[in-house]
Parts: sequence; structure tokens; C-alpha cells
Amino acid sequence: MTQATGSGAIGGGQVEVAGVTKRFGETVAVKELSLTIPHGSYCCLLGPSGCGKTTILRMIAGHENPTTGDVRIGGRSVVGLPQVERGTAMMFQSYALFPHRSVLDNVAFALKVRGIGLPARHNQARELLAKVQLEKFANRLPAELSGGQQQRVALARALITNPRVLLLDEPLSALDEYLRLRMRGELRRVQKELGITFVHVTHTQLEAIAVADMVVVMAQGRIEQAASARDIFVAPRNAYVARFVGGQNVLSGTVESTMNGMAAVASDKGARFAFPVGEIRPARGAKLYGSIRRDRIGVEKMLPGAKPAGGLNTTVGEVHTLENQGSYVKVTIDLDNGEEFVAHVPDDTFFRNPLDIGDKVEARWSASDVKLLDDGPIAFEAAAVEARAASAD
Amino acid sequence: MHSADGSRPWTFYFFAAFFGLFVAFLYGPMVVIYVLSFQGPTGGMTFPLNGVSLHWFDALISQSRVGDIAGSFQRSIVLAAVVAVVTVLVSVLAGLAFRRPFRGSAFAFYLAIASLIMPGLFVGLGIALTFRLLGLPTGWYSSGLGAQLTWTLPFGLLIMFAVLGRFNRSYEEAATDLGATNWQKLKEVTIPMLLPGIIGVALFGFTLSYDEIARTALAAGAKNTLPLEIWAMTTNVTSPTLYAVGAVTTIVSFFVIVVALTSIGAIQRRRSRSNT
Amino acid sequence: MTSIEHAASLLEEAPPAENTGERASWLQVAPMVAVLALFFGLPMLVVLVVSFFDFSRTDIIPAFIFDNYVDLFTREVTLRLYASSIKFALIVWAITLLLGFNIAYFLVFHVRGLLFQIGLFLLCTVPFLTSNIIRMISWIPFLGRNGIFNQALQGAGVTSQPLEFLLFSDFAVVVAYVHLFTLFMVVPIFNSMARIDKSLLEAARDAGAGRFRTVFEIVLPLSRTGIALGSIFVITLVMGDSFVVRTMSGGQSASVVSALQNEVAALQYPPAAASAVIMVIIVTLMVAGILRLVDVRKELAR
Repeated sequence: MTQATGSGAIGGGQVEVAGVTKRFGETVAVKELSLTIPHGSYCCLLGPSGCGKTTILRMIAGHENPTTGDVRIGGRSVVGLPQVERGTAMMFQSYALFPHRSVLDNVAFALKVRGIGLPARHNQARELLAKVQLEKFANRLPAELSGGQQQRVALARALITNPRVLLLDEPLSALDEYLRLRMRGELRRVQKELGITFVHVTHTQLEAIAVADMVVVMAQGRIEQAASARDIFVAPRNAYVARFVGGQNVLSGTVESTMNGMAAVASDKGARFAFPVGEIRPARGAKLYGSIRRDRIGVEKMLPGAKPAGGLNTTVGEVHTLENQGSYVKVTIDLDNGEEFVAHVPDDTFFRNPLDIGDKVEARWSASDVKLLDDGPIAFEAAAVEARAASAD
Repeated sequence: MHSADGSRPWTFYFFAAFFGLFVAFLYGPMVVIYVLSFQGPTGGMTFPLNGVSLHWFDALISQSRVGDIAGSFQRSIVLAAVVAVVTVLVSVLAGLAFRRPFRGSAFAFYLAIASLIMPGLFVGLGIALTFRLLGLPTGWYSSGLGAQLTWTLPFGLLIMFAVLGRFNRSYEEAATDLGATNWQKLKEVTIPMLLPGIIGVALFGFTLSYDEIARTALAAGAKNTLPLEIWAMTTNVTSPTLYAVGAVTTIVSFFVIVVALTSIGAIQRRRSRSNT
Repeated sequence: MTSIEHAASLLEEAPPAENTGERASWLQVAPMVAVLALFFGLPMLVVLVVSFFDFSRTDIIPAFIFDNYVDLFTREVTLRLYASSIKFALIVWAITLLLGFNIAYFLVFHVRGLLFQIGLFLLCTVPFLTSNIIRMISWIPFLGRNGIFNQALQGAGVTSQPLEFLLFSDFAVVVAYVHLFTLFMVVPIFNSMARIDKSLLEAARDAGAGRFRTVFEIVLPLSRTGIALGSIFVITLVMGDSFVVRTMSGGQSASVVSALQNEVAALQYPPAAASAVIMVIIVTLMVAGILRLVDVRKELAR
């Protein structure tokens, strides 16, 4: 079955959120936010609960209107337009399948409302059900299906109007781990096949990175970073993104000297790091933040009584927890200053010389793997607070 | 349903007006008779007010021809209190029973539902006939009490279902794990947690009994309850005394409702505070 | 009602093996069953038995005769009484359903804020806990010949003569019924509607359904359990009433039950009992009819 791109021309599925603010009474859910999602891309809005991501989705869907600002789809402002005229379709977190209607009638509902006759709409619905491998269940009630099957019905129902943009509100959160992993691949495959824009809201970092072309990390109604999934992971813009997305350790210190595009930085506890700063020439005494990937860190056990080598780009601490993740072991190190530092040690390296909880270790890395972060002292504090809140929920 | 920008759709105003009219329809006539109960001594059953007085309240107590208001009022209060207590004890127990499946549960449930929707006068007729055939005298405290329980127990049971449906059993399981006996579990955990609902059952038991007429009419025996006395008045009293009696009984009802609702509200507030 | 749903879901469960839990349940439910058996089951059985009895001017005489039923079916007035009762039941059912559905819809879908919702819900519920007779007679100063309504109409120049049909008429009976019984429709429909996931309405809107379409396609079918329960309450209440019809019609209208009450007053217990038996059969059929249209048990177990 061919899917026409709704009512728009080529590129009709580009979504623009332009300077949007949304207030609910006293609370500001979204602040002055601008974002462009290219046509045909898979975009994930990622953030802790209450960060405004669902509000953005609902404004694109037309279930909320912005207090100020504009929302455009395919270049045309849709604020105030009824849902059907936007070319969007929404998949709800709870799926919102009509419990009193058969699977077939659920999928055909939008056609029924448009006045399409029974045989025609059932045929079309059957075709879509076949696409999601559910044609056998056409006459069941939603409650008689498993969670994964219900999710596919919801997907088929959303797609029946040939939307330009599919909006997915936490689509995988109601599934168990196994189904969640399978369905996220399935969503990505469907999106590629249809070539329409998907906007997917989630609070799970790995889910966003797994499916999306473009990840938008949000906090407190603002965008912290909007970039490709790879960039979000390997090159977080600031400490908040680095901490929230995970996979990074955040380092900080004050500048002692700068030479050849490298700044020598001293942490509060006296450890010394080198940060690549490129063209920037930070002033002496300025506070800098950097990130280092967890899988770029080597960990070495210190013999009892040995003094740390104390070189550049090392830090010393005690092993706090060990988690075997299969292909690597996650080593959490309590630094002397009470902070946590995480290293992902490849399994073969780890088991050649295993560590134990409580071991004194020295972690070391290469200066060229350190990425400079875009934070000042205040932003850092705020991000740390948020990141803690995010990991708590 | 509200529109996307948070403003109200036109249907909201339509429905709000509709709802307002319904509330006016519900309360308007009641308010009018409370006002008219303060009618002056020369005033009639409708407006205008010929002055304002307590004349008709006074007549309620002093005039014997309006009937035995004071006596029936006392009987009704006592009966309502007894019904409330019995309803709480019996329907809370029955509610607890239905938390496990048991043989005969369908019978007990449908017995209660049948008792609830059976026309009240028939129940009263049946009870009167039964007492007559058994050679027992009917009385408000015996056959009358039983007749009212056929109405309040099913209500109490339904309220208990609603309350227990929301009750998380893991609290009780936790109590058992911590070594509480069944009785301690009931006394220390279940009953206190269900208290707001139990107060609701008591409220229904009291007010339904206090206002009951259809079931009691044929089963009350020689001495009337207050609603029966008022019912008798409607046919032979054509003065604002009728309104005065209405005002007094409604004040009693409202008093009971307010006491029950504020105690429920106080318990809920304390709990929501301690949860945060 | 949530409560009935809860019970229904329990009844769906398979009967358990005999255990101590079952014995505990029996003990707990025993007082209720005993009271209801004694004051409801047995008396209803007695009514059935007495309906076959003979009677004299002052007494009932044990017998097994069908005279009471034969009399009932051969009297022309019986049909008229049933027609009157059923007429009232249908009119009041239609009005209370319309009111109840809209009020519940307003409370569930239009009122924001749980506290506000509970407040308005209580506002509707409180009158139910006050005296029905008082609420009934409170219409007298409103609808009377010189009542507020007529005064207002004449004051506004709408009518020159007071309208006579307002009080002591079928109109007054219907007004009082609606006043007394609408709540029995509101509460179960409210309960059904409150369980509807709000995102269903958004999904319907996304699909292009308008406001009314959404109500008919989604809200109405999903409220039918509440509508069925409310209808059962209202119809049984109206069919079983005698007090409202007597007072508000001023003795001009009668119902099956008010006629029965007259027979009881004349100590004609056996015919009254026969009349009650027939009435119970008819009401049961009506309830069964509603349950046939809406399988409450299956719906509730959903």
C-alpha cells in the first residue's frame, strides 16, 4: 500500500515550533522554545517528567494551543486548526483504543467519521492491520489483545488517515522490557518505510538514542540540546545533557594555564586535568567543565601503600559498585571528594585482572577524549540538580 | 472536554447554565418552604409573607391537633440511630466477606439487590402480614426496624463495595507479615483505614431511616415515625405548620450530613498531610 | 456503580475450594443474609402465599384460591392503573435520563479540578439525604393556584388566569418524581463516565469526530452500564410509588401501588398481595428487559 504524504507537497511533514511559550495558570510548561524537525525524520523529545516534552507534542497535535508563538506544519501555521486539518495523528500513551469497538472498527473509525461506507473502510482497515500482522484479530475487542498487539492496533489506527506527522506519546512505556526493545525497532522500520515525520516523546535515554535521527534533550520547558542521536551521546553540549543522557563523566576545575589549545585545569581536590579548548583562550582562574566518555577510561588497581602516580588526567578513588553488563563491566568509583565517577571497562580487560568493591584504584584517560562543555558555574549547579531529579524518576 | 487553548467551548457555558438551573430546581422549592415557615400568624401557604414570626414553629409544639410531632420525632431519632449502628456493623462485615470468593456470594448479592429495588410498600405489606400471621404485634422498634434495614443494608453494602474496591490489600498483608493477628489486623489497620467509608455508611443509614416512609408505613404499628406523622399532616393540615415541620426535619438532616462530611473531610485531610 | 462492578467482578471468579477463608466469609455475610431473609425474603414469600388466601371483612382466611387474581384480571380498573403507572414511569425515565446524562457529562468532562467536581457532586447528592416528603410538599407553594409560578406568570403578563394544571395534576406528579429521582440517574452515569479515559475523546477528535459525534460514538456507548443501572432505579422507584402520586395529584391520579395501599387500608390483604405479586412480576420483566439490552455483568467485568 502506498502512503501519500497527506495534503502537503514534498517536505509537507516539516514541523516548526517557533518561539512557543505555554502557561497553565501560574506554571510555565514551555518557555520561548524554537525547534525545527525536518520532513521525514524521526525525532525524539527526551527529558524527565515535567520538562514540557508532552506539552510540545500536544501543541503539535492541537490538543493544546501555545500561549504565545507559532506552530507550523509543512510551512503552514496550524495554531487553532482542528486536529483533522493538521495532517497529524497521535498515538496515545494509554493507546486510547475504544474499548467497545472491535479492532477493525477502531482502525476504521476515522474513515467512518469521514462518511466512508462500511465495505470501503473495512477494506482499508484490513490492509493496515495486515501491515502490522494483526488481520487475524480484526474482530476481537482491544481488551482481548496483549499489550504489544494493542500498541500495533493503535499504530494502525493512527496511520489510517495517511498523516504527514505521527506523534507518539511515550509509546513504549506500557510494554515490558522485551517487547519494548522489539517494538522500538519496529517503529523505526515503519517510519523509514512510510517516510513521514515521527515525533516521539520519551524519558528513556537509550530509547531515544536507539530510534531517533534527531534527539531533543529538554529540561524545565527549554531545549538543552537538539542534535543527532550520535552527537547527543558523544558530544553533549553541556553538563546537564552529559549527565542526563549518560555515558559521560563530568569533570570540572579552574584554569591554571593554556598552551597549544590545551588548558591545564585543577579540580577542588587537587587533581589536574587537561581540557582541549581549541581556539578559546580561557582566563586563568576561570572555571571549566568537560566530559569524558565512560568507555574511554582505564582503571588500574593500586597496590596497598602505593602512592598515586598523580599525573595529568588521572583521578583516584575507591570502587563503590561493580555491575557486569555482559560486554563490559560498569565500575563506579567514589572519588576522594565524594563525587561518583563511572568507567565502562571491556569484559576481557576487566576479567584479566578483576577488581573488587573497596579496592583503591586510579582512573586515567587521554586528554584528546575530553570534550569541553558549554557551562558556567551557575548552569552547572542547576544541571546537577536536574540530573539528580531526572535519575530519581 | 475543553478546547486546546484552555478557553471554554460554548458548550461549557450551555452546560453550566443547565447545571445551574438543575441546582435551582433541586434547592429552590426547599428554600421557599423554609422562608414560608417564618410566615406571620395570619399568613397562608404561599407568598406574600404577612410578616415574619415563629408562630408556626410554636404551633408545632403547642397544638395537639397537628399530631404527635414531638413523640414521633423522638422515635425517629432513636430508630435512625439504631438503624445507623446496625447498618454499619452488618454491612461492613458483609462487605469484608465479599472480598474473597465464596459459594453463595451470588445469592447474598442478589438478595441484597432485590431488597434494594423491591417497591418499599410491598416489603412493608409483607412484614405486616408476616407479623399478623405469627400473631406478633407490629411496632416501630421491631417490624419497623426490620423494614428499614431491608433498605439501608443493601445501600451500606454497595458503599462498602465502592470503598473496599479502592482499598489496597497490601496494607493488611503487611500487618500480617508483621505478626498481627486477624483481630489486630482488623482493629489496627482495616477499620481505621476504612473509617471515612464507614462514616459514609452510618450517614446513609441514619438519613435513609430518618426519612423512610414506604417500607415503614405498613410496618410501624400503632405509633408513627416522624415521616409518617408528616405524611398524615399533608392530608389534614393546611397551614404553614407543615413548612415549619419541614424546616425542622431538614435542619436535623443537614446537621447530620455536615457532621459526617466534615469528619470524613478532616480524616482525609490529615491523611493527605501525613502522606507528604 | 463502582460498587456493583466490584461485586460483579468477584462473582465472575471461579468458586474456590473449601477453605477457612470461605467459612470466614460465610460468618461475615451471615448477619446481613439473616436480616434480609427474615425481613425481606420471608415477608415476600408470605405475600405470595397470602395472595391465594380468602378474606372476610376483618380477617384473612387461609385457603388456596385464585379469586384474587381472577378479580384483578377481570377488573377494568386494573388496566387503567397499570397504564397510568407505566405512563409515569416512561415519562419520568425519559426526563431523568436526559437530565442525568447531561449533568453527569458536565461534571465529568467540563468541570476541572477534582475538589470542584466533588463539591458539585455533593451539591447534587445532599438533597437525596433529606426528607422526600418535605421535598415533595415544597412544590405546593410553587405550583398552587396562587403559587409562586402562577404569580410570576401573571405578574409578567404571560397569563391572565392562574394555570390550574400546575398543582394536583399529572404535571405536578411528574415534577415531583423528577425532583426526587434524577439523582438515581446521575450517580450511576457519573460513575460510568468517570471511568472513561479522557484520551479516548482526544483520539476521536483526532480522527475527525465532532463534539456530538464523539458523544454518540464514544461517551454514550461507554456509559450504558450507568444508564442501565439508573434506569432500573428510576423505573422501579416510580412503579413502586404511591405517596407522590397521591399527594401531588390531589387524589386525581392513582397508581397500582396507591390502589394497593387503599386495599390494605380496607384490610383486604389477599387482593393487595395478589396485586403486589403481579406488580413484582412486571417490574422484574422490565428490569430483565433492561439487562437484556445491556449486559451489566459483562460490561462491568470488562
